[in-house]
Amino acid sequence: MSDRHSTESIREELTHRDNLSLTARIAENPEPFVWWAVPMFVLLAVEFATWGGILVGMLDALVIGVTGLIDIVVGFVSPGLAQIVTDFQAGVVGMLRSVGGTLGELPTLFSREVIPNQGHQTPNGAWQGTFLGLQPAVAWALRFSLIMAYALFTAYWAFRGWLVYRDHYRESDWTPTDDIVNNLRGHRWGQFGIIVLVVFLTMATFGSALAPSTVSQNIQSPYSDESQIQYLTEEGTVETVFAGDANFDSKSKGAVDTNVGVMTYDDYGRFHPFGTLPNGRDLFTFMMGGARITMIVSGMAITGAAVVAMTLSMLSAYYSGSLDLGILTVADGVVSVPQLLLLIMMSAVFANTWLGAVLDGGFLLALIFAFTTWPFLWRAVRGPALQVAQEDWVRAAESYGQRPRNIMQKHMLPYVLGYLLVYASMSVGGIIISLSALSFLGNGLGISPPTPAWGRAISAGQSYVSSPSWHISLIPGLMIVLLVTGMNALGDGIRDAIDPEVETGDGEEAAAGGGA
Amino acid sequence: MSNAVEQSPPTEESEVLVEVEGLKKYYGGDGMFADPPVKAVDGVSFEIKRGETVGLVGESGCGKSTLGRTMLALENATEGSIRYDGTDITTLSGKDLKEWRKNAQMVFQDPESSLNDRMTVGEIIREPLDAHDWKTMNDRRERVLDLLSAVGLPDKHYFRYPHQFSGGQRQRIGIARALALEPDFLVLDEPVSALDVSVQAKIISLLEDLQEEFNLTYLLIAHDLSVVRYISDRVAVMYLGKIMEMGEAEELFADASNPYTQSLLSAIPEPDPTKTSRRITLSGTPPSPSDAPAGCNLSTRCPAKIKPESYADLDEDLWEGIEQFREVVRERARIALSTGDRVRRRFDRFDRFDDIEESRADTFDGIEVPERVDEEIQTAVKMVKRGRPTEAQEHLYEEFASVCDDEQPEMYEVSASGRYSYCHRHADEYEDVDPVLTRRADSD
Repeated sequence: MSDRHSTESIREELTHRDNLSLTARIAENPEPFVWWAVPMFVLLAVEFATWGGILVGMLDALVIGVTGLIDIVVGFVSPGLAQIVTDFQAGVVGMLRSVGGTLGELPTLFSREVIPNQGHQTPNGAWQGTFLGLQPAVAWALRFSLIMAYALFTAYWAFRGWLVYRDHYRESDWTPTDDIVNNLRGHRWGQFGIIVLVVFLTMATFGSALAPSTVSQNIQSPYSDESQIQYLTEEGTVETVFAGDANFDSKSKGAVDTNVGVMTYDDYGRFHPFGTLPNGRDLFTFMMGGARITMIVSGMAITGAAVVAMTLSMLSAYYSGSLDLGILTVADGVVSVPQLLLLIMMSAVFANTWLGAVLDGGFLLALIFAFTTWPFLWRAVRGPALQVAQEDWVRAAESYGQRPRNIMQKHMLPYVLGYLLVYASMSVGGIIISLSALSFLGNGLGISPPTPAWGRAISAGQSYVSSPSWHISLIPGLMIVLLVTGMNALGDGIRDAIDPEVETGDGEEAAAGGGA
Repeated sequence: MSNAVEQSPPTEESEVLVEVEGLKKYYGGDGMFADPPVKAVDGVSFEIKRGETVGLVGESGCGKSTLGRTMLALENATEGSIRYDGTDITTLSGKDLKEWRKNAQMVFQDPESSLNDRMTVGEIIREPLDAHDWKTMNDRRERVLDLLSAVGLPDKHYFRYPHQFSGGQRQRIGIARALALEPDFLVLDEPVSALDVSVQAKIISLLEDLQEEFNLTYLLIAHDLSVVRYISDRVAVMYLGKIMEMGEAEELFADASNPYTQSLLSAIPEPDPTKTSRRITLSGTPPSPSDAPAGCNLSTRCPAKIKPESYADLDEDLWEGIEQFREVVRERARIALSTGDRVRRRFDRFDRFDDIEESRADTFDGIEVPERVDEEIQTAVKMVKRGRPTEAQEHLYEEFASVCDDEQPEMYEVSASGRYSYCHRHADEYEDVDPVLTRRADSD
């Protein structure tokens, strides 16, 4: 690799070309890029509607959140302006939702329409309506495995894109990032964390296709006209029934005759991989819906906290002195507020406002968690930030008149980002647990029902722990444990990867040696 | 010296590039309850002429790095002015300061810490150009390649990271970065002291070549006297925030006037074993820069200190003993007493400093102490034993203080070439430094 540039050509490349951009380098040697990009394009195209839907959904939440805040601020000054903001919000959201609706109608490869698992038995024993006439369990398992394999492979292929860039298009033969990636590639525990993260993100993204039923049909509106299912009665006839009525007869109440356990069918020919809840709803569908809201809320909370902590740590390390002291005082003030009390209070105060309604109350929770978490992250990264602010290269940048903002961004932030990532992935576990705890407590706390939330499932199964319906509490509990452990493993992995004490033992330094 | 030929002594008409006048840099000390300020640089004046190399030497902590950083406006001067080509840079701020920064750059001591490991060599050298929006991107890249070859590195290092280089190569990168904006003036802060000896020579000759090629003016901060002697046209010697002596390099090294310079130079090992050299050692440790002596900086340690008039006839050994004893008392005065000790002192039960008696006996062992001196010493010993070393210090000061303790000396011109020295002994009414040092050395 090191001989890619000959001495004359470097000067030519650097000075006689209008740009050195990546596109120019790709145009020069397109083959590796094409070999990577075409499969990537296909991978994204087959699930275009899903990816697009996620994007639109995030934009939607962002627009509502941001315009809502602007609305309140402007409202103090002039109600007329606030009305304009509200109109703008309504217009943009309406447009986004119509785009989302159009996307929703586009077919995807691994959708429940392509591989259906809901059907009914005919009197002769064959299955009708399921994929290739397979049993619902097999059809569901097939779709579930395909989606998981697809998601993991897509994640790998995206990483491969970086490898292609590194090997074929990057100008440097070696960068410090290479060492971090190499360290992580030998770190099994960290890789476990990455896989857990990818799996849970997949659940959040593809939840409706992963579950045997949909949240709308099984949980939110089981008595709407679209929520009717067909089943084979004991008399041998095929009847139509509301999913809600079917749920009523599929309850898991702890007794042997009123229990639909793990990996079983109910009386309506519906397959329940995780069994049912005490109200007869499908636990697996419930868990997938819960995964989405959990990942969104905890992701937003930790991102918000990390951004605040990062900005403030840069400011306090670069300017130090009274600014640092001011931030310290504010952080200590925030830490001294009891988190649970604040959550209960805020949930009550905002219960019936627009803010409490965004993401079924999740947006407000994310804001509160971000508010209570940033001081811990800030404290954790302030030390490394102060340390890097003392380095001579920061003095050097000052000596040639670099702007403070650029100094913080180019000379300090890259050294702090790793620590921030470690502490953020370690802290997100706490947020996930607190979020579930709120839903567990119920009574207006946490995500508003009927939107699924993990904590509520645990709470519902509380009285059946030692009965045949043990699955109701146990499975959501295990999922939470798995996710939190995974995030901690990820944090461990990153920490070990960026730790300079880890020896990679390659001979790059020796290769560049020689000369004074 | 053979290298004297290479040095071009500044001619009379050389234009002054940097003019420092009464520069002070104090740290802390503001606020009602603050401790006294640390006087890192305490009233320094000198000039640097265009194209010359001024060496700045002194022991660590004497304020030479602070002086260098203040001259680049990296620290705000507490007092005084720094004129660069006629502009007082201590008054610049904002855009003007940024524009001025193109003129003066710094090369740092530690090549491990002065380069950002997360940027390629090309980005590092280009950054000053980016910060000043210098010409077009292509021009900047070309300039970086020119700079790389100027410091003796191949083009292919453009895309490498600092991590992949040795200390000497990293220092070359640091020098290239300092040269990027075509400055006239470079502060070299211990540029070779972190490098291997074999690499030091290469970097020094690189610096000399670059000076000739780009017509640079250097302020070389160093504690390695041989490096300073080799490369500098003029040398300034610093001690405790003050310049003790400044003058032409060869002359200063061959014939130093100031007692401090003499003791510093006497520490250089003499390669010729047949030659006997006079080793002048300074007693004790330098005082803290927050508690500098009221008179001459060196008065607590000076080997040629002037005696007070009333004791002018004292024996040299006895005088030295008195000075040593004063240093011991001063050390005691620096110790902070615990609350328990303060209570004991209040009730005359204090005994922590009883060993002062032994110190006194050791100091004056074998020396005949006249009664009038002994009386004062005993009074001081009693004060220390009672737990009042500060009182004892004041008592000894009142009794034995000379002009060195009381008054700050002036800068005396000590040679025709314009060498200055900061010492009372250069005044007409006192005996000059050399005979005193010779006599005191002989009496040992």
